[in-house]
Amino acid sequence: MRRSFLIKSVAVGAAVALALTGCSNDREGTSSGDSGSGDAKGFAKDGLIGVALPSKTSENWVLAGDLFTNGLKEAGFKSDVQYAGASTTVADQQAQITAMVTKGAKVIVIGATDAAQLSTQVAAAHQAGAKVIAYDRLITNTPDVDYYIAFDNFKVGQMQGQALLDGMKAKKPTGPWTVELFSGSPDDNNAGVFFNGAMDVLKPAIDKGDVVVGSGQKDVKQTAIQGWKAEGAQSRMDSLLNSTYNGGKTLDGVLSPNDTLARAIITSVKGAGKPIPVVTGQDSEVESVKSIMAGEQYSTINKDTRKLVAETITMVKSLQAGTEPQVNDTKSYNNGSKVVPAYLLPPVIVTKATAAEAYANDPKLSALTK
Amino acid sequence: MSRMKELQKNLFGGTTSNARQFGMIFTLVAIIVFFQIQTGGLTLQSGNLIALTQQYAYISVLSIGMLMVIVAGHIDLSVGSVAAFVGIVVAKAVTEHDLPWPLGILLGLVVGALIGAWQGFWVAYVGIPAFIVTLAGMLLFRGGNQYIGNADTVPVPEGFRDIGAGYLPEVGPSTGYNNLTLLLGLLACAAVVWRELRARQVRTQMEGAEPAPLWIAVLRMVVMIAVIVFVTLRFAGGRVGTSFPISGIILAVLVLAYSFYTRNTAGGRHIYAVGGNARAAELSGVKLRRVNFFVMMNMSILAALAGMIFVARSAASGPQDGLSWELDAIAAVFIGGAAVSGGLGTIGGSIVGGLVMAVLNNGLQLTGTGSDMVQIIKGLFLLGAVALDVYNKKQGRFSIIGSLTRSNRSRHEAAAGESVEANVVKQPAARS
Amino acid sequence: MSTAPPLLEMRSITKTFPGVKALSEVQLTVRDGEIHAICGENGAGKSTLMKVLSGVYPYGSYDGSIIYRGAEAKFADIRASENAGIVIIHQELALVPGMSITENIFLGNEPRRFGRIDWKAANSKALELMAMVGLKEDPDTLIKDIGVGKQQLVEIAKAFAKDVRLLILDEPTAALNENDSQHLLDLLRGFKERGITSIMISHKLNEIEAIADSITILRDGRTIETIDVKGEGADEDRIVRGMVGRDLGSRFPDHVPDIGEVFFEVRNWTIRHPISAERLVCKNSSFTVRRGEIVGFAGLMGAGRTELAMSLFGRSYGVYESGQIFKDGKEIQLKSVTDAIANGLAYVSEDRKAVGLNLLDDIKTSVVAAKLSKITRHGVLDEAAEYRQAEAYRKSLRIKTPTVDEGVTKLSGGNQQKVVLAKWMFTDPDLLILDEPTRGIDVGAKYEIYGIIQELASEGRGVVVISSELPELIGLCDRIYTVFEGAITGEISRRDANPETLMKQMTSTKKLATS
Repeated sequence: MRRSFLIKSVAVGAAVALALTGCSNDREGTSSGDSGSGDAKGFAKDGLIGVALPSKTSENWVLAGDLFTNGLKEAGFKSDVQYAGASTTVADQQAQITAMVTKGAKVIVIGATDAAQLSTQVAAAHQAGAKVIAYDRLITNTPDVDYYIAFDNFKVGQMQGQALLDGMKAKKPTGPWTVELFSGSPDDNNAGVFFNGAMDVLKPAIDKGDVVVGSGQKDVKQTAIQGWKAEGAQSRMDSLLNSTYNGGKTLDGVLSPNDTLARAIITSVKGAGKPIPVVTGQDSEVESVKSIMAGEQYSTINKDTRKLVAETITMVKSLQAGTEPQVNDTKSYNNGSKVVPAYLLPPVIVTKATAAEAYANDPKLSALTK
Repeated sequence: MSRMKELQKNLFGGTTSNARQFGMIFTLVAIIVFFQIQTGGLTLQSGNLIALTQQYAYISVLSIGMLMVIVAGHIDLSVGSVAAFVGIVVAKAVTEHDLPWPLGILLGLVVGALIGAWQGFWVAYVGIPAFIVTLAGMLLFRGGNQYIGNADTVPVPEGFRDIGAGYLPEVGPSTGYNNLTLLLGLLACAAVVWRELRARQVRTQMEGAEPAPLWIAVLRMVVMIAVIVFVTLRFAGGRVGTSFPISGIILAVLVLAYSFYTRNTAGGRHIYAVGGNARAAELSGVKLRRVNFFVMMNMSILAALAGMIFVARSAASGPQDGLSWELDAIAAVFIGGAAVSGGLGTIGGSIVGGLVMAVLNNGLQLTGTGSDMVQIIKGLFLLGAVALDVYNKKQGRFSIIGSLTRSNRSRHEAAAGESVEANVVKQPAARS
Repeated sequence: MSTAPPLLEMRSITKTFPGVKALSEVQLTVRDGEIHAICGENGAGKSTLMKVLSGVYPYGSYDGSIIYRGAEAKFADIRASENAGIVIIHQELALVPGMSITENIFLGNEPRRFGRIDWKAANSKALELMAMVGLKEDPDTLIKDIGVGKQQLVEIAKAFAKDVRLLILDEPTAALNENDSQHLLDLLRGFKERGITSIMISHKLNEIEAIADSITILRDGRTIETIDVKGEGADEDRIVRGMVGRDLGSRFPDHVPDIGEVFFEVRNWTIRHPISAERLVCKNSSFTVRRGEIVGFAGLMGAGRTELAMSLFGRSYGVYESGQIFKDGKEIQLKSVTDAIANGLAYVSEDRKAVGLNLLDDIKTSVVAAKLSKITRHGVLDEAAEYRQAEAYRKSLRIKTPTVDEGVTKLSGGNQQKVVLAKWMFTDPDLLILDEPTRGIDVGAKYEIYGIIQELASEGRGVVVISSELPELIGLCDRIYTVFEGAITGEISRRDANPETLMKQMTSTKKLATS
């Protein structure tokens, strides 16, 4: 007993000693390079690219993850694609980004869960010499974001607003039209952008009196749905129907920021036995495309995740080569600390009439439009 | 007694309760070695150790309070919500109402104390089970967070961020290391030696108790000093600008203070007495209500602190702060050897339990395991760690969490003796 | 002697637990249609015998045979004995407090109709059964809302719902007041007329005298004798002698009492039951303790001895109604345990495991638990002092353990009791109240505990000993108070104490003149 113990303790001691001598101090190697994030020298062709995405609650994030994994592999990079855990999203994502930094990722692509709570982690990434690309959601309150790549979300909002007006006009040629407004999660920077875009179109009509918000809830705080949760939208719609539309007042249209919420809203309206109003959407989710073809949801937005991922990978490739990636907006996206250079892709509005054309390239969705 | 048993008994402090943590420490070392190999050396890299400390400091702060709550025979499900609530209150106060951040921290602790007093009142003086009170608190303060914050993310100023994301500053001559961290390490080594000498001294004062054999004392010192030196050099040798995190220092201070309180003061003894046998404690003159009030209130103050550390690290208070923290803290406490029925467990054990989960989580992330698999593995690990321990104890072998089964066993024995009465409703009248 | 064939015959029943022979060749013959009383001291084996009969200890776990209704019965569990018509009503009632009378009567035995519980049938049957036992209540009333006496009746009604042939009542009147007890006894007579056989376990000799047809006396797990009341008449002295008769010779260490002045006095102490406020658990009790004196409290289970002690000890039991406590001539207020300890009181509970010790603790932690301030220096516990103190008690009380670091669960009952005594000696009390200090302890350890008690008295402390074992009280105490139904019924000096007089005063309110 004693001998085996002694052997063990000697082994442990030896291991400790080895660890002490074998690992050198980190201070020498990186301390000179970490502050010079400005010089674009590029990095090895098979460098590690980290991709941190929110939890797997929407089809689009799952698809994006798969596309990143395959796309980065094809481009010759090593990749580490992570989703945040379902319950501890923010803390999980923080830990994942830190782990990517530790593993020596050269570029970290982040689809943020809470865009305002990552500044410590992206700062660490920068200090370690990694580039940070904010994917789809702009990371705020930090100077340590290099690029922002997304669909033009203000335009998405404008298109949703316009589609809402067009749809209602098609059903009932003259106003005034009664509508309700929904917006996305308040902790998602994009939610406000969508809403502002939509209001950019709707505001003149509301001011003129052509469009009336039945409940009077026009402020983004009143319309927000925490966490983009379907049940949140459904319960808000339920209570609107039970209060404002209890009397026989007709609801002509609902501005919904995305498809998940749009379907929840339609479910609520159906449940109340009311005619389905014009409901907008976004993301081209399978169920919503079916709903549009069935004549329930009015519109969605096609933000082709394939294109967005492809452009992101193009950006990563230029960073690898040491060249400046292409951007098309260097003014609009101020995150509270700096103006982040952005590359914006144009969205496409899809209704029943344009569905076949819009999804022609998408094998899964085009089948639904036939 | 065999040498191995003697070692188990003496290596980590010299008491039986500490010996029970021995196995868990072994598990921790095994996990570290496993991931160190799996990740090609990333696990023990300076940057990773520093990140680990920051990521789990707030959970460990919670588990200190949770240990005391669980030892007293309660549970607190509200810690995450309380943390989030305090976080948003403090963030709003310092950002929107221009309260200087040190006062903001004080405000947070006061709010935590008030919430704790509220929960403690219901548990201790009204007699509602803590499970119910804190379930209500979980809803109450989560709602409070959203009400005050409008579900917004509110940033906090630079100075405040230091308690979650700050490091010891660089001072003194250039040694290639962070000098303050080196100093801390030196202090820790000195403390280990002093403690060892003092323990031997105390032990010799105990007539009839033989001090641990010298070879064990020396071995223990050598191992601990080696670990401290290694860890110190790692923390001190990180990227310039990083060193031992402030949140780690806060945690270390709390661990030392609360370990001392629970082990070496009458107040700490009373918590164990209440959890072990409330009626016996009461008849020995322990003021039950006061103890229960204290543990619940203390928990909320620590939850407030944890919330602020997280907000500081995240640079902002958000609506998702604190989600399922209570589960992490409770898991850490149980892996660390506390008994579900109360009365057993140590602060040190809970910290080790938390570290095991932290290293596991971190290692899985470094190896690129998805968060879905991470959750599955952590869940199985929690169950497995406790189950293996229970099994070992049944086989009469050394038990990782001997405490847990020890309480079960004594209750079994009691139950066996009264198996007939078990299906009989007790009359309210006391018998004489 | 009646010629009716016996309903039940238990032949040579022997039941052994590890280390203890609980029953040894016990004989019990119960004739059809009689009321048969079983008497014996606590621990004589009455309950064990009934557990054997009802299948709690299944066939095969005991030696001997049970002949029931002419055939050998081999009950595997309680259900089997119930199916044969044997129903036990325990002292601790098996009722669910939050359910109604009807629900309780039919619990596990619900009348069904097409798979659903037929509540209509259940309610009407319940009313019928309640009428049989003379219970006038709405069958929907919850059990917790009726008194203990009525709960007892519900329990009996429940037995009748199961078609009972042999009804066994374990101390049925222990928790009942005078009226309820009387009602219950009348009920048993009524059952007898209807041909139902009953076995009643009781201490109360007046009740036994009043209704029993036969009496079997057990002592130390053996049958002493069976008395046919009709033929021979119930001689109270004979019963008492049978129950307690044993040699008291050398079971106690030699001790010369050195008794001083009265220093502790309780006047007119009255306490209400914590839940049913109309019940007085202690009625106007007054007593005194002198320095160096060992004072005994004799009484039956449920007489209120523990309640008296605990209510004095910082109001740990019941609701204080009235009464005063004097110590050294001054009135003291003991509103909490802390007050009681500060005023030099110590209470060693009758239930070591449930309330006396924290079973998770080791010996040294247990010893200092009631007075941590004594080992605290500048707010810090002095572990060396703790160890030294515990070690000192280990030596002086001869606690058998390798070190005081051991957990208390590893100790035997006697050594655990020594630890509890050490815990209270550590508080340096003036008055120790010891509640059943030798319960569940073997003879050798008992002798040592008696020695410790005598030693404590010799140091000038007052010691109160509550015990159900009369020989123990007689052998140990300088003076004995008897308690019956919450009231002190007598005070007997050591010289005059013998089991017969004590037992008489413990079982009736008749106050005997003290000599």
